[in-house]
Amino acid sequence: MTDTTHGIGGLTFDASKRDWPPEAGVAIALVLITATFEILGRLIYGESFLFNTREGVDGLFNTQRLQVIILQVSIIGIISLGVTQVILTGGIDLSSGSVVAMTAMIAMSFAQVGDINGIPNSRAVFFDSGWVNLPVMLPVLVALAVGLCAGLVNGAFVAYTGIPPFIATLGMMVAARGAAQWWTAGQPVSFPTESYAAIGGGMMPVAIFVGLAILFHLILKYTVYGKHTYAIGSNEAAARMSGINVKRHKLMVYAMAGLLTGIAALVLSSKNLTAQSGMGLMYELDAIAMAVIGGISLQGGRGSVLGTVLGALIFGVIISGFTFLKLDAYYQEMVKGGIIVGAVVLDQWRQGRAARKM
Amino acid sequence: MKTFLITTAIASALAVSASAENIGVSMSRFDDNWLTVLRNAISARADASDDISVQIEDARDDVARQLDQVKNFIATGVDAIVVNAVDTSATQALTDEAEAAGIPLVFVNRMPVNLDSLPDSQAFVGSDERDSGTLETIAVCDQLAAAGKTEADIYIMMGMLSNQAAVQRTQDIHDVVEAGKCAVTLNVIDKQTAEWQRDLAQDLMTNWLSSGTPFDAVISNNDEMAIGAIQAIKAAGISMEDVVIGGVDATQDALLAMAAGELDVTVFQNAAGQGEGALDAALALARGEEVDRTVWVPFELVTPANMRDYVAAN
Repeated sequence: MTDTTHGIGGLTFDASKRDWPPEAGVAIALVLITATFEILGRLIYGESFLFNTREGVDGLFNTQRLQVIILQVSIIGIISLGVTQVILTGGIDLSSGSVVAMTAMIAMSFAQVGDINGIPNSRAVFFDSGWVNLPVMLPVLVALAVGLCAGLVNGAFVAYTGIPPFIATLGMMVAARGAAQWWTAGQPVSFPTESYAAIGGGMMPVAIFVGLAILFHLILKYTVYGKHTYAIGSNEAAARMSGINVKRHKLMVYAMAGLLTGIAALVLSSKNLTAQSGMGLMYELDAIAMAVIGGISLQGGRGSVLGTVLGALIFGVIISGFTFLKLDAYYQEMVKGGIIVGAVVLDQWRQGRAARKM
Repeated sequence: MKTFLITTAIASALAVSASAENIGVSMSRFDDNWLTVLRNAISARADASDDISVQIEDARDDVARQLDQVKNFIATGVDAIVVNAVDTSATQALTDEAEAAGIPLVFVNRMPVNLDSLPDSQAFVGSDERDSGTLETIAVCDQLAAAGKTEADIYIMMGMLSNQAAVQRTQDIHDVVEAGKCAVTLNVIDKQTAEWQRDLAQDLMTNWLSSGTPFDAVISNNDEMAIGAIQAIKAAGISMEDVVIGGVDATQDALLAMAAGELDVTVFQNAAGQGEGALDAALALARGEEVDRTVWVPFELVTPANMRDYVAAN
């Protein structure tokens, strides 16, 4: 055996048997999709997708577009970092979107300003004692705690009752949406304090997403937590035999996903200056799709955080590209669907080829 | 003896509930802000009276689920049903079910496709959707003209394309232009959907801004998307004085944005008025009284000049 990159073996992990790492394939796809928009834009409108062709603006690139490409996927990207870990253990998390809504509603209630343009904030009366202008740490801790709790509940059901992750997190998906609506009887919660609004202001969502991505890349690659995560996904029985406490580790992974969802809720509600019970609809599916496009295998044990980040970028390029070409949203959804399925088909084909090379 | 007492207790309990009027309400979705105001107005009106009890169900944007809810209401024997239709083109089935069971039915907010053929025991309470987009567009045009423009480049933000309100309000913009009611010449640069949502609108607007095309106005199908556009425009460092932004709904957030000089036009749709109107119509029909087939609750234009009247209205 030559050196293996990670995990506990299995033929697909033998680096020498693979002609390129899966991330390279995703990166090539990203470049190809971007180039397609660049060429179409020049042909149809005579405008550039990535480069600066505007008068009176300096710089080689259209920085505003580069920024929005990543900005619009950073929040779901944060969720996707957690979903990636869950999928690596061979599980799935369908609850993210609803947990975002529930967490945002609860956290935002602790971040209310006292008065708006001199008028007392009527929505803050939610807590009769008038809990307003609280230090920003409180809503932050509340968001982290609520997200973590939701993740712990998911993890506990998956690890200790043995029900399929699909069912456990489906239950949470429905229940958390209900909780989000119940919290204020469906009323939106807006008007946060300035310090709360700063969390997701400007390019902060991108900074948080990139920071967390680097952190989890290191954690999954170099820590025991990461090695166990891959080991459980590759072969759960073997992982158990080799002394890994599989149940406790699964609980930790789902809790981590919940925590990241809590962070996403914090950034989202701060960026939009509002929390609404209908927020985060379908976020779970977008988060899963980002991971899958990025080469995370739904069978578990294969893929990396880098792949997920590239998957998120492909999403961002598609959204911006279609608006750039002034094409309707219908086509955007259809292409997105095609890419999700295409990515998995390509991955299967690559795996099959790697196996034949043995 | 014990059995007798229990039976009497149950019988009297039933008698009490029978004297109250039971109204079943099926809402298209619970997590829509504006519909929440409407729903809460219905429950508030019912809570204020001991004689009315309402049961409100969430159809979660599912036509089949809504029909099942209505069937369940009929099976329970409610006195009247109020429906906020998920799909306005699928209301005939609801009408047929209720009519066959002899239970009055009131459609609220969303105009049923079979409005003209509703039986006497059914009615529609709502606002004429054609008015909202028309009022909004004319007001945006007037403000552009007041700023000294004769020609204006605009973006249009549409709601969810499967909703009649989104289609109608967008059509209204074109109708206003074609009827020559717009004080300036409007050029539509692009129109896209942001699915009624603030976060999607923020991203959409930022994408539009990244092309660097100059624009004069954004006409949005609702306030949430208009606010998303405003947040993106402010982030890009463009002065809100230079652009006209229009929305619909007059939500609290929107009125605040208007007070800050960011939102220029919105249209008030009376959610509480529609909710209470629908409940009243349902009660009247349940008592065998005559109700007009269509009860209009008018849209009202809101601009910085009259916005004070609408604070705390929705």
